[in-house]
Amino acid sequence: MSSLFAVQAGSRGSKGLAGFIAGLSPRGRALLIAAEIVILLVIWQVLVGSLELVNAVFFPPPLDVVDGLGDLIAAGTLGQAAASSAQSWLTGYGMAVLIAVPLGLLMGTSVPVDRVFGPIAWTLYAAPAVAYAPLTKAWFGFGAGPVVFLVVISAVFPIMLNLAAGIRTTSPSLLRAARVYGASRGEIYRKILLPSTVPFLFAGLRQGAVLATIGMVVAEITGSTVGMGAVIIRSANTYNTDQSFAAIALIVLWSISMTQIVSLVERIVAPWNRKKVSS
Amino acid sequence: MESKEGELVSPTMPVRAVTQSRFRTKRRDGEARWKLLLLGVIGVILLVWEAVVTWLELIPAVFLPPPSAVGPAFVELVLRDDFWSAFAYSLQNLAIGVVFAVVVGVVVGLAVGWFPVLRFTVAPFLWLFYSTPKVALAPLIILILGLGNESKIALVFLLAVFPILLNTMEGALTVNRSLVNAGRVFGANGVSLGVKVLIPGTLPFSLIGIQRGAALGFTGAVLGEFLGGAGGLGHLLERATFDFKMDEAIAIVIVMVIIANLTLTLIGILRRRFAPWYDDKTTVSAG
Repeated sequence: MSSLFAVQAGSRGSKGLAGFIAGLSPRGRALLIAAEIVILLVIWQVLVGSLELVNAVFFPPPLDVVDGLGDLIAAGTLGQAAASSAQSWLTGYGMAVLIAVPLGLLMGTSVPVDRVFGPIAWTLYAAPAVAYAPLTKAWFGFGAGPVVFLVVISAVFPIMLNLAAGIRTTSPSLLRAARVYGASRGEIYRKILLPSTVPFLFAGLRQGAVLATIGMVVAEITGSTVGMGAVIIRSANTYNTDQSFAAIALIVLWSISMTQIVSLVERIVAPWNRKKVSS
Repeated sequence: MESKEGELVSPTMPVRAVTQSRFRTKRRDGEARWKLLLLGVIGVILLVWEAVVTWLELIPAVFLPPPSAVGPAFVELVLRDDFWSAFAYSLQNLAIGVVFAVVVGVVVGLAVGWFPVLRFTVAPFLWLFYSTPKVALAPLIILILGLGNESKIALVFLLAVFPILLNTMEGALTVNRSLVNAGRVFGANGVSLGVKVLIPGTLPFSLIGIQRGAALGFTGAVLGEFLGGAGGLGHLLERATFDFKMDEAIAIVIVMVIIANLTLTLIGILRRRFAPWYDDKTTVSAG
């Protein structure tokens, strides 16, 4: 989202509303967006809740969704479902990182591995993870097993392939310079390859986090009996769509939080890679 | 801006095309040798799979049928009529949904990218929708639109439209200002400025968005078929696993992998055909 707050070079001189917005500080613009969201929610509430222009079962107004969240909490199923989803997600994502980082390093530095393993990885990456969902149910049953599997398979390839690509984009002159100054293999890894790969690694980790959430939801709504996806299915099937929307909102919140956490870690681990936000 | 670009453009198909300067010296015969090696490795993988299941019996063949069972199942599958009707059903939904997504995504993306007022007011919501795992909406869409084609097409559209839209938007933003100014100097305005400068400058980004959108759209089509209705490859796959015909199920998954890869390759070819001036490197910048 940071791009929204960056001032575009072209729009600086423009007049009118755009000029006014472009002139705002990042904080001012964030406030503006927050205000817009509030206005949109109010319009939604009025159109569906008060004027009843749309069937409230299909688009429950915001206040109903809040009620739905209350119902879910009161029913006591929410905590368990959320815990199950979070646990599957974290387990799967952790496993994906553990698998992807060594393989990505290997692919990036070894030509044979890249040429032989690369095409296989790209082929699998292009295939929709959802295709494996029924197989995983046959293999692991209807619990958390399929969820973890789909999270792993969704997250592992973006992390691995970004990492490998990052290593390959390392400036050859940096490598040559290191060799001229007598750097050992370990030093080249530690001081040149890894630092120059960090932006790619974190881009992969962010993509992986987004895709992991998709994988988790897919596994949970296609027949798993656990997690937030199952809550959505159950509530939608009983026409309690306000509860479905509440559950979806929580999943969105989770997805955004995870990508933000990855970005936060990136800023701590690699401060030199700080995003260029002009203010 | 620069920060988001690499990420946006990449999610499903990120960084393949990075020029591998270190390997450039390899000649053609080297390429052929790598391909042979790749085939060899795939052969070894299949052999190990066969060995583990059939000869060593480490995994029961009911759960993971060996290649020697999947192969015949695959042949049997492609000879069946109901397979081809399911195939056509899935691809039809995918195509219709993606075409809608391309039209809406490109038009809205260009508008939002070009007009600063829209960019500052609408774009935040587009980003929000973009980062929403829209698969979670699938049960609701089935509820609203029923079990027929409509719900599947809607799912394809919903999953495909945002990558196309946001890539087009980012593309329109990166159109070189001096090109626009030069166009204006030479008297291009309004529509002709759009056709001659804005669209060619944005096209490569849109095509990357379309590539990614089509991949996600396929997920939408298959997911929609899992969740209800009686048509399509997803339904066929679901039924095969339900009957525990794992060899047939794996054959269908292989078909899906082939479809996904063919679609991506096709759009990749279009990209090289219609935007050959464009260097993949420019979108690969991460962070």
